Amino acid sequence: MATFNFKNREIECKIVYYGPGRCGKTTNLEYIFHTYKKQVTGEMVSIDTEGDRTLFFDFLPMGLGKIRGCDVKVQLYTVPGQVQYSSTRKLVLKEVDGIVFVADSLEVRRDKNMQSLKDLHENLKSYGLSVLNIPLVLQYNKRDLDAEGIPLMPIAQMDKDLNRQLKAPAFPASALKGDGVGATVTEILKRTLLSLQKQLKWAT
Amino acid sequence: MDFREQIKSLLKEAELYQQQGLLNEAKERYRKATDLIKQNAHIPNSQQLIAKIVQKVVGLNQAMERINTATSKPQVSDRKQDLIKKLFSSGRETSSDDADLEGAIALAKFGQFERALQEFERLLDREPLRVAAAKNILRCQLELDALDAAVDGYGAWTQDPRFSAAQLQKVKFFLESRLKKSGRTLDALALEEPRKPAGTAPGGGVSADRPAQGIPPASSPEPPRAVAENRPSGSAHGGEEEYLDINSVGILFDRGPQKGRMVEFDVSFQTGNAINLIIPGKDRNVIDHLEAGSRLDDIQFFSPIAILNGSGVVTAKTRIKSGPKEGDFSLDIAIIRS
Ligand SMILES: Nc1nc2c(ncn2[C@@H]2O[C@H](COP(=O)(O)OP(=O)(O)O)[C@@H](O)[C@H]2O)c(=O)[nH]1
Ligand SMILES: [Mg+2]
Repeated sequence: MATFNFKNREIECKIVYYGPGRCGKTTNLEYIFHTYKKQVTGEMVSIDTEGDRTLFFDFLPMGLGKIRGCDVKVQLYTVPGQVQYSSTRKLVLKEVDGIVFVADSLEVRRDKNMQSLKDLHENLKSYGLSVLNIPLVLQYNKRDLDAEGIPLMPIAQMDKDLNRQLKAPAFPASALKGDGVGATVTEILKRTLLSLQKQLKWAT
Repeated sequence: MDFREQIKSLLKEAELYQQQGLLNEAKERYRKATDLIKQNAHIPNSQQLIAKIVQKVVGLNQAMERINTATSKPQVSDRKQDLIKKLFSSGRETSSDDADLEGAIALAKFGQFERALQEFERLLDREPLRVAAAKNILRCQLELDALDAAVDGYGAWTQDPRFSAAQLQKVKFFLESRLKKSGRTLDALALEEPRKPAGTAPGGGVSADRPAQGIPPASSPEPPRAVAENRPSGSAHGGEEEYLDINSVGILFDRGPQKGRMVEFDVSFQTGNAINLIIPGKDRNVIDHLEAGSRLDDIQFFSPIAILNGSGVVTAKTRIKSGPKEGDFSLDIAIIRS
């Protein structure tokens, strides 16, 4: 749950990029960091080791300025995808306000996408939250590889695998090239802020 | 597709997967390519091709090995440690005792033991945090396999004027239980009794600034009353040491719509044998069936080291009246050892 500071009229919320290992979560944040300079309020921090695998998390602070009299701050996080870091994943999800689930379009990663979504579902449940009513956006990443002749799953199949029940907005993307990254983050911010306005009875 | 084309595209895929760090997938593609080449051994350069692939796979195996043997809890820079601490302590602005303790525990959970130890050492100065800080210091040392340091540290505290006898007693029980868990016995480590007399033992050096009657009996870790009443005799020290740092609990419901189901809750706060859960007000099918006085006969306690079974009693249920958690419920549960 976001913290709301009544004194400064400042609201701080947390968006987590979730998904299997190597699906492009860090690449999303890197693109945002380099592209939305005006909204980014600090350095991007990646806590990682051993090559560029995210062992802990990435963190990127943003500020959206004043929205209806409130200063809105956003913290973007990624989780480590590797199975063995499940406790870090759970910790990062604590008090989450909105989620971007990044799915890997590579055919060879089909099962990993589904496993990761299930893992998200279970971790949220342990915090008393549900994938079905938390602000959530899907991203089908690495679409650029289609042109390289690498086998990708058709969007329709990914929808069927991942989004049949969720019916969340889903964006095809290439985090590497930046396509769809802005649309994804804009949509999750919109949904998260709407939900917070309802929860906090803020700006009503 | 012509098999030449097939091999080419398999190798291209393998190359890309490797580049993206999808090492298993890369290996699988190389394996398929090798099979295909072997089935078509008549192609002129098949031996060279296979030799090349073998080389690639050796490289892949080495990369995998490096990842597997990389320390899973790497030490990170001070700046990053500050960030971990800040991000994962709940008091995002205040510097209350709880927030500091929580921040330090977060560091330890991330394996930043050295830094966490420094924080816990500082917290030893604060009376209300002393026992928790001491236990967490021991926890860090045990994580680091520094059993001797843990025992030595405890030995030093027995001479440390900051610790009261009651506090030492709690720390000692904690250490004993942990040593047992790691298969050590007290004797082997010659763990000494606290040298400080618990009050008025003759000839004891009770420090002047700590009046004897102010010291609670060493054997009463101030458990919630429900616990004291329900605790089987002979285990006066309860399980406080075992319930330390419970991250979440699973509660088996015996009534309501969740009847027969184990529902997991995050533990928000913990003091000794009492845990506190904050449950969203909208979760009516849970909250309506947890009343003050409810006995919970089947609870699983998830701590980082083990899952413990036990039971508990709801000692308080309070509706949060203001702030961002307004409308949620704060539930206190006293743990009863089963
Ligand atoms: N071709 C392509 N590669 C991508 C894309 N997004 C990420 N990658 C690559 O996939 C690998 C893993 O990306 P990373 O962001 O570290 O994944 P994370 O584990 O989810 O954080 C890296 O080699 C990235 O360059 C994309 O949209 N297209
Ligand atoms: Mg990453």
